Amino acid sequence: MQIPQDTQTSLERVGSYLQGVNPQRIACFPLILNHAARSIDVPVAKCIRDGELFGKAHVAAYRRYGNDLITFLSTTSSLAEAMGQKLNFIEDDAPQLADPLIRKLEDIERVKIPDFSSDGRLPVYMEATEYAVAEVGQEVCVSTVFAGPFTTAAALRGTDVFVRDLYNNKEWVHQLLELCCQAGIKFVDEILKRKSLPILVEPIGSASLISPRMFSEFVSPYLKRIADHIHANGGGMPSVLHICGKTKPNWKPMREADYDIWSLDVVDMGEARAFAGDRVTLVGNVTPANLLKNTPEQIDAEAKVICEKAIGNPRGFILGSGCEVPINTPPQNVDALINAARRYGQLTTDDMPESLEKSCC
Amino acid sequence: MAREREDILKDLAESVVNMNMALAVSTAHEAIESGLDAYDAITNGLVVGMNKSGVLYDEEEYFVPELLICSDALYAALEILNPHLKREEGQEKIACVIGVVEGDTHDIGKNLVKIMLDVAGFEIHDLGRNVPLADFVEKAKEVKAEIICLSTLMTTTMDGMATVIELLKEEGIRDRFKVLVGGGPISQAFADRIGADGYADNAANAVKVAQGLCARFVAAA
Repeated sequence: MQIPQDTQTSLERVGSYLQGVNPQRIACFPLILNHAARSIDVPVAKCIRDGELFGKAHVAAYRRYGNDLITFLSTTSSLAEAMGQKLNFIEDDAPQLADPLIRKLEDIERVKIPDFSSDGRLPVYMEATEYAVAEVGQEVCVSTVFAGPFTTAAALRGTDVFVRDLYNNKEWVHQLLELCCQAGIKFVDEILKRKSLPILVEPIGSASLISPRMFSEFVSPYLKRIADHIHANGGGMPSVLHICGKTKPNWKPMREADYDIWSLDVVDMGEARAFAGDRVTLVGNVTPANLLKNTPEQIDAEAKVICEKAIGNPRGFILGSGCEVPINTPPQNVDALINAARRYGQLTTDDMPESLEKSCC
Repeated sequence: MAREREDILKDLAESVVNMNMALAVSTAHEAIESGLDAYDAITNGLVVGMNKSGVLYDEEEYFVPELLICSDALYAALEILNPHLKREEGQEKIACVIGVVEGDTHDIGKNLVKIMLDVAGFEIHDLGRNVPLADFVEKAKEVKAEIICLSTLMTTTMDGMATVIELLKEEGIRDRFKVLVGGGPISQAFADRIGADGYADNAANAVKVAQGLCARFVAAA
């Protein structure tokens, strides 16, 4: 089967979703994060600690692949890092958490609301964002990604201890989440100022870890405050939430957090559509490990099945990877994913998404 | 007045499943004081509770925090009961080496599997996280393990599992061990591709798969 030519720029395509008109074909968001370092052939740790390299890597990846979203993220712990948490940098892999900043409950005093001009690698994120917006912002949507309050809190405390705090130190957990939420809102302002799209990831809110009851109590309220802030200040920008792993048990409280776009991982897209499609644009969900290990033909077949389930979603559907595109993914597999959006994502008027802006205002 | 054995066992089980560490500890003391056999208290009390927690986890009633706090109650009670265990007679446990492969420090999943295997009666040798691949082989030889459990959450480190299997082959000892793999990016297809013996998608299933792999265990059960 021939691959149909694109007749729109990436930004026009994504803009169609916001305006409620039919894009020529569905958009494709492979979550290219540290994999971008491969596009300029520098080791991951070097790329993500230098704003110019970080920016150039993502612009180069976009030029190589034609992905419809640039996503600046090196680790979900970057906000925690700027709040005082140490990371271990690994030469050619994502950084990992060092020992937690908060050992004792009173260590919460050590957590600070970050200064975006100096703390952690936030200046790297800001410089990279500015670079990409200036370089390709006229043709593709640029986003800057940060972890939600729950994930940031878990990074500062150590996830294994933090999940016990949910039972043993509830009030304290809320104090910590409040700090993380304030830092997140500041992040949103800094991103919006730079004409980039703020995207939230909340992997520790995955149903692979916590229950819907915990999600309702500790995750939704803070996510909602950030979504409200984006809606109030984003000039029509949608709020976007990505949660890795299983999420189905937590869909109900997730919906309460009021995000316009859900990027989902280990779920059935048909079920997600039935549950939330009247309110939420869905993004997903080719299996990341398959992008690394399977052939382009297998990627194409997997994407086709997902498209069949999700195209026609009332709020629209964007083909993507379930989670981060693995660092060592063969480039032809990313091509296969995007080509699948060209092949299977040609829309008829019946498939037209309703305007996202309605939900934003 | 001392309570009946059944009441004490019931409280031990319920303290675990209800995440009640204080009750687990006080009931463990009560068990010792009333002359209950420690092995009986563990297997027919605490373990029953933890298995029930495992079922709730499998049914998505319990999630990771609940299972961890249940296990905290379990281990707090075990600390009291263990010194009173009589020398085990002839009942040899199946040794199991477990760890998170080199390059990865995510260990919550591994810890859940470890807890559930421990409760199921395996002898656990936990190598921790970010474990050099050769260490799995060395430890398995040293403790005469029957099962090697490998965990990872990252796509950059999953190939380390294949390397462990290769190392076993190079030493000509592949058939002495069953290799069980799991973690976020791992699938049955990946397990098959690298020649692992088993794959499990959560901690509760890991025990079932491990038991299935050890025929001797099944025969004894």
